[in-house]
Formats: sequence, structure tokens, C-alpha cells
Amino acid sequence: MTTQNKPRIGVYICHCGMNIAPKVDVEEVARSIQTLDHVTVARDYKFMCSNPGQDMIINDIKELGLNRVVVASCSPRMHEKTFRNAVKTAGLNPYYFQMANIREQVSWVTKDSQEATEKAKSLVAAAVGRVFFHQPLETREVSVTKSVLVIGGGIAGMQAALTSANAGYEVYLVEREPSIGGHMAKFDKTFPTLDCAACIMTPKMVDVLQHPGITLYTWSEVHKVEGFIGNFEVTIKKNPRYVDEKKCTGCGTCMQKCPTKKVVSEFNEGLSFRTAIYTPFPQAVPNVPVIDADHCRVLGQNKKCGVCVKFCETKAIDFEQKPEFVTLTVGAIITATGFQAVNPSGMEQYGYGRFPEVYTSLEFERLNNATGPTSGKVVMKNGKVPERVAIVHCVGSRDTRHKKYCSRVCCMYSMKFAHLLREKTGAEVWEFYIDIRSPGKLYEEFYNRVQEEGVRFIRGRVAEITDIVDDATDEGRLTVIAESTLTRRTVRVPVDMVVLSVGLEPARGSEDIGRLLGVSRDGDGWFNELHAKLAPVATPISGIFLAGCCQGPKDIPDTVAQSMGAAGEAIALLAKGIVTTQAEISRIDPDLCSGCKSCIESCSYSAIRFDEARKVAVVNEALCMGCGSCAAACPSSAAGVKHFTDQQVMGEIESILL
Amino acid sequence: MSVYAMVKDTSVTEAVKAALTKLISQDLVDAVLVAAKSPYSALPMPTLFANAEAMDGIDPLAPAAPFNAARQAATVSRQATGKRLALVLRPCEIRALIELVKLNQCTLENVVLIGIECLGRMENEVFLRHAAAQGDVTAEFLKNTSLQDDITRTCKMCEQFEPAHADIVMSTLGMAENSVLFASGSETGEALLKELGLSPAEKPAERETVTKQLLEKRAAFKKEVFAETSEKINSIEKFEEMIGTCLNCYNCRQACPVCYCKECVFLTDVFSARPETLLRRAQKRGSVKLPTDTSMFHLTRLSHIAHACVGCGQCSSVCPSNIPVADIFTTVAAQVQARYDYVPGRDVQEPIPYLMFEEKQKSGEPK
Amino acid sequence: MVKSMSDFQPKIIALVCNWCTYTAADLAGTSRLSYPANIRMIRMMCTGMIDPKYILKAFLDGADGVFIGGCHPGDCHYINGNLKFKKRMAGMEAIIKQFGFDENRLRLRWIGASEGPEFQHNMTDFIQTIQDMGPSPAQGIMVL
Ligand SMILES: Cc1cc2nc3c(=O)[nH]c(=O)nc-3n(C[C@H](O)[C@H](O)[C@H](O)COP(=O)(O)OP(=O)(O)OC[C@H]3O[C@@H](n4cnc5c(N)ncnc54)[C@H](O)[C@@H]3O)c2cc1C
Ligand code: SF4
Ligand code: SF4
Ligand code: SF4
Ligand code: SF4
Ligand code: FES
Repeated sequence: MTTQNKPRIGVYICHCGMNIAPKVDVEEVARSIQTLDHVTVARDYKFMCSNPGQDMIINDIKELGLNRVVVASCSPRMHEKTFRNAVKTAGLNPYYFQMANIREQVSWVTKDSQEATEKAKSLVAAAVGRVFFHQPLETREVSVTKSVLVIGGGIAGMQAALTSANAGYEVYLVEREPSIGGHMAKFDKTFPTLDCAACIMTPKMVDVLQHPGITLYTWSEVHKVEGFIGNFEVTIKKNPRYVDEKKCTGCGTCMQKCPTKKVVSEFNEGLSFRTAIYTPFPQAVPNVPVIDADHCRVLGQNKKCGVCVKFCETKAIDFEQKPEFVTLTVGAIITATGFQAVNPSGMEQYGYGRFPEVYTSLEFERLNNATGPTSGKVVMKNGKVPERVAIVHCVGSRDTRHKKYCSRVCCMYSMKFAHLLREKTGAEVWEFYIDIRSPGKLYEEFYNRVQEEGVRFIRGRVAEITDIVDDATDEGRLTVIAESTLTRRTVRVPVDMVVLSVGLEPARGSEDIGRLLGVSRDGDGWFNELHAKLAPVATPISGIFLAGCCQGPKDIPDTVAQSMGAAGEAIALLAKGIVTTQAEISRIDPDLCSGCKSCIESCSYSAIRFDEARKVAVVNEALCMGCGSCAAACPSSAAGVKHFTDQQVMGEIESILL
Repeated sequence: MSVYAMVKDTSVTEAVKAALTKLISQDLVDAVLVAAKSPYSALPMPTLFANAEAMDGIDPLAPAAPFNAARQAATVSRQATGKRLALVLRPCEIRALIELVKLNQCTLENVVLIGIECLGRMENEVFLRHAAAQGDVTAEFLKNTSLQDDITRTCKMCEQFEPAHADIVMSTLGMAENSVLFASGSETGEALLKELGLSPAEKPAERETVTKQLLEKRAAFKKEVFAETSEKINSIEKFEEMIGTCLNCYNCRQACPVCYCKECVFLTDVFSARPETLLRRAQKRGSVKLPTDTSMFHLTRLSHIAHACVGCGQCSSVCPSNIPVADIFTTVAAQVQARYDYVPGRDVQEPIPYLMFEEKQKSGEPK
Repeated sequence: MVKSMSDFQPKIIALVCNWCTYTAADLAGTSRLSYPANIRMIRMMCTGMIDPKYILKAFLDGADGVFIGGCHPGDCHYINGNLKFKKRMAGMEAIIKQFGFDENRLRLRWIGASEGPEFQHNMTDFIQTIQDMGPSPAQGIMVL
């Protein structure tokens, strides 16, 4: 029974018990439809969805040689599947079927019986006019490679990798820094429970390293991504470490001996120095140093040095290393590229960069950390312990000139700082805030606790930080000026140290990652989730999921929960092992396509690629969702969604208006 | 700021030739696409030259253009070939070409755009009549204002006779007899002018007034045509009357430089009427005119290209039924373009309105 | 053949997306919210797939009004098909208007899946608008 055959259409009008029949004169509808072209049979029946109803269709297909079926009954959202199955049972392609909704859209909403009957006739005729143009469609199944790529090795990426690997899948974790750990590795304590970050983090880092299912690529980047859900072809670029990972034992002698000692430490936020050959921090995973080629005397300055080569007992140093490219096939991708802190240098009023005692929150984290520049002592540049410290909230956040959104963690980490300051130094702490945002388990309690610890809270945005003091005895201190919105008075507080609680923004390079993956970003640059409420870890690109701060600011508990969610989605996909492509997807006729790329611009799922050789657009069936944006954009109707073709839709319109 | 140069010769055509042949002879480009008379007809046709000696018949300033040559220009610049091309085009052709670049139909990579200040084109038969009567229509046309009244209706309403986006612009308005002004419109153009070694010149002062006068005249006529046309098609019935003689030959779409489809949807089976539908319709209404999709064709074409119509008038020129297609298209186009604040050919970077929706704008995604 | 206003029964084509407005229409049904019987609803997957041809076809075929219903911005099942359509709509309005179809014969509304009453209200209102406007200028003349 092919398309070539003359259409033989069977039409079935359902009474739906008393739901359609008394209002709509179903017999009259059947009589009228019977006169339409190509209608072989038109019947009415009490309950079309019942077994006898379905059997009626099946028998007619077999006995009358029907090759198209229309059922006029309830909403297709209710029973389209049922009837398609019946049609299929009779050996017909299930897409040779169309439904007319004469219950929800006719009998239930129309008062006048005659009007209802007329409307029903018209809708059934439309269905007949449409089904005439229906074509047989097939779904396709593609097998899924059982592995996951995780991009970014912060707490989000680590957790997603561990959960996926624990489920038994192969995981590749790519981190561009020399070590995994992300921001959390820089912290001393974490709110609200004040766990020591290293104590909860280091074991996880080691787990990642030792997990037999996880292959770790640090000092590496994602270079190219091709393919689609189930089978992404990923190329990873391993930057040269100049240290052979297999030979290095992590003894650290090279770092002790390296004569280039004055390189600013990125990990310590510029507060200390490191050597040219280095690991960012003592607990780095893997514990294999990298050589910073720019600062190395051999690699960067063409000088003779080679001290590390001389002292390395395992001969692990290799100046000849070149970037290496590794190609992998993965079934799913989890993006966990995190955030970066907003740089306050441009915000003149805070004096960051001008006054040595103004710190960013990340710098302050390092000051607090036992492995940091001061070995965890909170002291000023002159070595003295501060007596009064100001913490400024919302720096760069909730500010139309910078980031209009709330960075979600600043209030809480500011109060963590206040607590640590009170505990470690006994200093007087003044917090300048706009609102305190502490929604979270044990968060409000933490706020109360800090208040009880004697921290002063001033509600108001800081207008200026200056080294001009009001009282000569305060010479050398900084003055924080703010208007308290509670007392409506300007406060001027002399302090020894200021911490700027800077906001969060997407990690540098996330634009490139977005482009590589085809995942769009919102106006602030965070990756777009598929649905803000119902699909918060999926992306518009099937098979690509989001974990952690790359989707928007969040704290560690939320990051971890979301990472497990993302891993869960990836696992569900891999466990099933196949992806079934939808039948109602776009197709592009290469003979009609003029290669204008309008469809590519219109597709929100990056489901269309351009074939440069033939100069035509090609739909990727695994990615297409069938939204039809491409079809509406294509002037030559080269692009069109199957089951929603021009002829089908216009056939429906025409039949209604005829 | 532009730099200017001037070339004077025995005629403007010779002056243009003197400069353009140098492009090839000095190896500044590999080939030039420019309108030229063929041995077979006085009508200048877009011609691709790779050899300076062969350029004898070039006549880009002739008031004739049997094509909007954007199509031909797009054919030679369909993809970068590694060769450097100079395309000598009228303003409406450049505008259309820019739309075609946006539609991935060609590339401006390695292309030098040489624009002509266009005083209009005549319909082919008008031009040929003049050509038969006198040899150098171009020279006559540029100095004789009464000949200038013989240009097409659409040209008479064209306000964009100065090419935008050209690397070099050749103009004659306000210039002394037999001389052509070359102005740079880009750094590439400036460098080329230097290399060509043309004698530097000042912009003649009278250009401004002449240009302004012409602009005013054109604007006034355009307003008139828009008002008149808008009135003539302001009901579907009147529109039917206007296209009553349309033969569905699709010449208008074939001639339209921005109708870029490989195959028009009206040639596919999307609109092929089923006999049973036609019969039913005939039964219901008493009669059906065939083909049924005439107005559908014009309206659909409008919905596809109204934003991009550059007002070249070719659609009117080619209509065998003398339907003022361009009147209709330019009138509707002006309204659609105003709604989108879109000007076709204004900027290669300017996204096509349909492809730029709110969310994309907000997130600042690349185009 | 001019029909008198009172027995003018407008024919209205509604192109609505499956996920929001069509669902709202079903909800109006299950809630028995009645509205005049002039609407003929055509189910699309998303407003973003509505080709200008469909609107032109409907008008030239004699529809008195065309209603487009989709998800609210941000709720489109396909992210932003509705915004793409909205952009297209501006051009369509200009075109139909020039050819003598009142712009108000073409209406775009966002009706969410849970908005049964809004659906009913929108239908009633649109039908009334068209009723007041009278038959489409394409009625009774041989366009298609
Ligand atoms: C000062 C401060 C204090 C905080 N204190 C707390 C606290 O006490 N408690 C709490 O719950 N939360 C706290 N937070 C929030 C916490 O930092 C985040 O919730 C958490 O770090 C998010 O983890 P992540 O993995 O998503 O991002 P990140 O930690 O930023 O990790 C992202 C990782 O991805 C890597 N990466 C980025 N781009 C690429 C790329 N293109 N290719 C490969 N790798 C890439 C990065 O190098 C990094 O390792 C604090 C935040 C700040 C700024
Ligand atoms: S919009 Fe149509 S013609 Fe253009 S590239 Fe896509 S399929 Fe081809
Ligand atoms: S139907 Fe939608 S998802 Fe599919 S290719 Fe077209 S625009 Fe992309
Ligand atoms: S519609 Fe007519 S005037 Fe407009 S660009 Fe096409 S051919 Fe030229
Ligand atoms: S060129 Fe003239 S006759 Fe031919 S399709 Fe166009 S308007 Fe009709
Ligand atoms: S799915 Fe409803 S408008 Fe796109």
C-alpha cells in the first residue's frame, strides 16, 4: 500500500458516548463526509477508542483496502497514539492517519447543535484534505557510545565524573589547569557548616585520579566537537607539560631547584610567587608539575639552564614535548566550566589595586588558607593583624552598570569571612550589604550565628573607599563611606583591611566552549538550560548537559546536586543504549536548497550543518526536534518538517475554506 | 575620508576604459566583470575580462542594463577562487549583491567593488533605438538631459544613485566633459587609486548642488509613485485588476536579483492544484480562473523578498504584460523595510530581519 | 452578493501550537467554556513553523480572519519559535494591510497551556472583532 496507490480514505466519527453525539449530529457528518473525494467509507460509532471501534478500522483497512484513516473524536493529545497503533496493526504506516478534534473543540464548547454539526463537518473535511497528502514515515534508532566527556574539573566536573564512572561508564575529564579542583580548592572553610574545604575536597580529587573508569586530561582543552547525541567525536588538545606524566614521581625536587622563583602565582591570586616549573598547590591532582614555558629560562628565554633536568632522578623533564591531540567518541557531554570572579579593577570607588589593603574575596580565601601565601594567618601586607575589617557585599553584582543579577554566594561567603575573622583575629568586622540573602538549609541560622558573634551589619551600598581619614589617629587606615539605608545617615568607618565580595561571571573561554558545542548562552553569558524549570540540566543540544556554575551562580551544595543530576541524565541516556529519532523532523531537499543558510541561522538546536562541497544545508536527524523554524525560514520550501509539509497544512486550510 | 582622482580622455567611456584596463595590465586584479558591448549587439552585457586588450567594448556608464548584474556578479564570486576580482556595478546591483552575500550566495573575499554613479538605465528597446540613431549613447546621455528623461520609471524614482560600499566610485555628475571622477570608498580603494597612478583631483564644487537637485527630483517622483501605487492596490480586488494580465511566466522572479532560490517554490508541486479541488471550487463558485496561484505567487514573493527589494525595476522591465511589477514591489517593500528598520544593501553585517529575533538580539549571539 | 451583517458567519482559521494554545483549547473544552463556532483550528507543532504562505493562502482562500496562538515568550517548547514568528508577523501585517486586508484580521496571541479561560475569551473577542469588521474583501471575488 504505497503513496502511488489512489487514496482510499476511511473516516470514523465517534459519538464518545453522550459526549459528542447528541450535540453533533454524527450521522449527518458521516453522510456529508461520504460525498468527499477519495472517501471510501464514513461511519459513526459509539466509542471509537474501544476495542470494537479499533477493530472496525482494522477490518476496513483489510477488507476495503483503505490506505488512509481519519478519526473524528477527542483531542489527538488524548488518543492519536491509540489510533496510530490500530492503523499500524492493520499493516498500514501509522502516519497515514489524521484526527479531527470534535469533542474538546466542538461538542464541549459549542452551544448550538446545528453550528456544532457544521463545525464538525468542516474539521473532518480538513482532516480528509490533509490525510490525502500524508506520507509514510519511519523512526530510526541509533546506538549510543557508553562514555561521557566532562569539561571542567571543579567540584561540579569531579562529581559528575565520579557519579557517571560509578555507574560503570567510561569517563573522560578535561581540565585546562594543571590540576583539578577548581575554585573550591582555593578555599579554607566552606559555609554554612565550616567544613574544611581541603578535608572534603582532597579525597574526592584522589578518587577521581584513582577511579579506573576516569581518564583525566589536565592542562588540556577541548579542541573540536563533532557528531551528535550518542556519538560525539571529540578532539582533546593536551598542552605540553614538558614533564612526562608517566615518569614523574611527584617528588618536587625540580620545583625546589628551579632558579626562576619570581613568577606570580595564579592560584594564590597574585599574593605570592612560584617557580617556572610548578604545581599550583601542594595537593594538586595529578601531582605532576608543568613548566610555564613563558617564564622558563630554556623554553621562554632561550637561555641555558636545565637545572630541573639535572636534578630529576627519573628523567621526566622533556623540553621537546609538543601539543598532542587525542580523539574520543562519547555518548554524552557534561559541561562544568564554572565561573570566574568579577574583576573589581574598573570600579574606581573601591580603590582595588590602588590601596594594598583592599582584597578581593578570592585573595582573602587564600590569606585564610593554610597552604596560602601567609600560611593561613590573616595579616596585612605589613605583617600586622588587622583590628577592624570591612566586608563589602555585591561588588559588581545587582548593579546595572556591571552584573544585574545576584551572585548568590557572596552574602554567605562574606559572613563566612566575618566568622573566620572574628575567630582568627578577634578583629571588629563591619559588613556592608544591600540585602542579606540566606535561603538554604542552615543558612539563616549561620547569619544569626554571625550576628551573635558581634559582626556589625550596615545596610547600604559602599559609596567610596578612601585613604583620607577623619581622625589623625587613624592615619594609614582606610575609610569606608556608605549611606545606611536604615538610619538614613552616612557612615564613615576607619578600617585596616577591606574585602570586596565580588560577584561571579562565566569562566573565560565559555563563549568558545559554547560555540564548539553549539550550546547557546544567555544575555549574561551563562549556558542556557533547555527549560528553566523542567529541564535545568539539559541543554537545547540533545546529549549535552550542564553541571555547576557554568549554568549560573550557585553554591557548592547546589553545584553538587546539579552535577549528580547531569550525570543522572547522561547515565539514563547511556543505559538505554539507543536514541530513537522522532519521525516528525525536518528534511532538506538538496535539489531545492540554494544554500542560503537561513535555516541554519534559525535552528535553535544547531541541527543543520552546511555541506560545503554540495553547498546545501543538511539536517542532522539526531539533533532535530521538529520545531519547523527552518521550514518557515526557507523560501524555496527546501526545508520542511515531515508530517507538517506545506501541502499538508495548506490542504487542511483549503478544505476548510472550500 | 575619500581620495579623488580624475581621468580625462576623448570620451567618458574612453576615460573609464583607460582606468579600468590598468587594473588588469598592472596586475592589480586577475579579472574584471564589467558591462560591455559584444560584437553582436550594442546592448552592454555583463562580461568577464581577464585580458586588458579584450576590454575595448566596455561601456559601464551606458544607460542600459539588461540584467541586474548582481546575479552575474554572484556567479563569478560564488566562492573564493584565490583570484582577485573587480566587479563594476551599479548601486542597485551592489545593494543586491550585499543581500546575496548575506544569503551565502557569494563572497566579497578578494573582490574589489567598483561602483558607478548611476543616472539611470533605459529599457532595452529604448536604448537600442538611440544606439541605432547615434553611435555613443553613453556620451550623449551624460550630457543631454532630455535623453535622461528616457530612463525607466523605476530609475526615475531611485534616490540611491550613489553607490554605497564600493571600494572605488566612478562618477560624472558635475564633472567637465569627457572626464570621470574616481573616489575611494575604502582603504582598498584608496590603495588601488594610488597604484593606478591617476592624477589626483579635488571634488568639483558643483557636484553637491547637481546631486542635490537630482535627489530632490527623484524623491518627489518616488513619493508620487508610492502614493499612486498604494492607492491602486489598496484592495485585493484592485490588485487583481492590476495583475489581471499576468501570465505566470515568472520572468519577474527570474529577473529579480534578490529572488535567489535555486528553484522557485511555485515551480514545485507545493502549489499544484488537484483536479478534484478545482472541480469542487468551480461547482461552488461557478467558475475558477486558471492558473489559480497568480496572486498567491506575487504575495508570496513579496513575503519572501519585500525586505530585500533593492528597487532595481528589472521585474517591470521583463514583464511581457507590462504590469508595473516594480511599482507594486517597491511600494510594499518600503513599508516592510520601514517596519523592520532594514535597508537592503546597507551593511553586510546587518542581519536579515527574519533571522534576527528578540532573544538573539538580547543575548548578543553572533548574528 | 452582499450578505447582511447579521447573517454574516465569519470563517476564521486559527494556526496554533500544539504545546500551549492547542492545549489551552482542549482545556477550554474539558472545562466546557463555550465560544462561537467560527474557529477552525489547525494544529502546528510551534508558531515558529508557520510559513507566511499559510496566512496568505488562508486570506486568499477567503478566510475572514487568521488567528495565531503560541506559547508565552520563554515558554515555547522549542525555546524561541514564537519569537521568530513574532518577527515575521510584522512584515506580514504590512503586506496584508497594503492589499486591503485590515491588519486586525490577523492576530497573534500568546495563550499558555493552562489558560483555558483566556483561550475562550480570545476566541470570543476575535470572532466579535471580525464580525464587526464584516466579510473579508477577498470574499465573493475570484482570487484563488
Ligand atoms: C570567594 C568565594 C567563596 C566561596 N565560598 C563558598 C563556600 O564557602 N561554600 C559554598 O558552598 N560555595 C562557596 N563558593 C561558591 C563555589 O565556589 C562554587 O559553588 C563552586 O566552586 C562551583 O563549582 P564549579 O565546578 O561549577 O566551578 P569552578 O570551581 O569554577 O570549576 C570550574 C573548573 O572548570 C575549569 N574550566 C573552565 N573552563 C574550562 C575549559 N574551557 N576547559 C577545561 N576546563 C575548564 C576551570 O579551570 C575549573 O577547574 C564561593 C565562591 C567564591 C567566589
Ligand atoms: S533555508 Fe532553504 S535554501 Fe536556504 S540553506 Fe536552508 S534549506 Fe537551503
Ligand atoms: S525543525 Fe527545528 S530543530 Fe529541526 S532542523 Fe529545523 S529548525 Fe532545527
Ligand atoms: S522586486 Fe523588482 S525592483 Fe525589487 S529587487 Fe526584485 S526585480 Fe528589483
Ligand atoms: S513577469 Fe509579468 S506576467 Fe510574468 S509572472 Fe511576473 S508579473 Fe506575471
Ligand atoms: S511551541 Fe508553542 S510557540 Fe513554540
